[in-house]
Amino acid sequence: MQRIWVVVLSVWAMLAIVAVLAWSSHPMVSLPTSAAQTMVVKGHGGKQRLVVLKAPIHATTATSAAVNR
Amino acid sequence: MSVLHRTEWRAVGTNCAAAVTADPDDEREVSWALGAAREEVAACEGELSRFDPASDLSRLNAADGRWTPVGRRLLEALDLALRAREETGGRFDPTVLPALAAAGYDRSFELLEEREARWADDWRAGTAIELDVRNGCARLEPGSSVDLGGIGKGYAAGCALEAMLGVSQTLAGGLVDLGGDVAVRGESPEGGPWLVAVADPRRAGETLAVLALDSGGVATSGRDARRFGPARSLHHLIDPETGEPALAGPLTVTVVAPDPAAAEVHATTLAIAGLGEAEAHVSSRPRISALYVPQAGPAVTLGALPVVSQRLVVRAA
Repeated sequence: MQRIWVVVLSVWAMLAIVAVLAWSSHPMVSLPTSAAQTMVVKGHGGKQRLVVLKAPIHATTATSAAVNR
Repeated sequence: MSVLHRTEWRAVGTNCAAAVTADPDDEREVSWALGAAREEVAACEGELSRFDPASDLSRLNAADGRWTPVGRRLLEALDLALRAREETGGRFDPTVLPALAAAGYDRSFELLEEREARWADDWRAGTAIELDVRNGCARLEPGSSVDLGGIGKGYAAGCALEAMLGVSQTLAGGLVDLGGDVAVRGESPEGGPWLVAVADPRRAGETLAVLALDSGGVATSGRDARRFGPARSLHHLIDPETGEPALAGPLTVTVVAPDPAAAEVHATTLAIAGLGEAEAHVSSRPRISALYVPQAGPAVTLGALPVVSQRLVVRAA
């Protein structure tokens, strides 16, 4: 009986964690499936993480730097 | 299957790129479209540049209050700038040029020489700009002059995108990037949104976040580039309230808006705003969103920023 309660509580705990993560996350944008690409991005506290994008980056925005003409 | 056709060149003082989504066999349409984008950027530069003495804007700035014939593009860009000044309560002001020039940014950036900064004592914000659209003329208040640097680039990106995609209906989508001012519309070659990386201003070559856009514009403004003066201690973001390079504001701010000129206006406005002011600015404008990178600490998203990757940055409370 005790084992059953442990399983039930574990399932509920997992569902709660999933619900919190879903509630706190940004809306995801579905991406096309071709041309997977990995990139390093910065996360909380400056930690780096590897992100797999399933499409290539088309442009980069930054404060525009001058170029010699 | 569609593929991406791309061209890159230098114009408006920075690196430019244009790309279209099209069938591999549409070589002629693609060639015309990419050519149209480059021609439109050149036409905009010919009217809007303050560094070309022959441009319409240079002639207007030198006219000392007289009515001056100018091109359609300059009239449209001035109209956008005037609307932006009104919409932002003067936080965006195209007439800061005398203050910017006095501080030392008086020629194209790559030609700047190091010299002591001066402040424009007699400068004041919000000087008059009059437009006569019917007769194709404009007039500035005597002693005033205009800089359309940022909004001009955003305007040019939008015009170039329209010119490019207007060449043929077989073009499924396109992108124009003028030194980080990005305009997109239609399909990417993969069939989904266009992906625009936001460069990390603190670590060269690294990405802070990735944005996904179906249409609209992105622009970044900040004090991490275009620094000048003694020991590169000055930046080009003039606070219209003081006439001097702004003290408050983030290291960089990236704005997503319905069009690239609007993105530039709000990026320039937020680039001289503290975080609280920036939050209030974005929350009262549901059509824009922003990634605010403070001078210290983690980046903050403002509004419904279309970020692809989750939890890369901190959301505003």
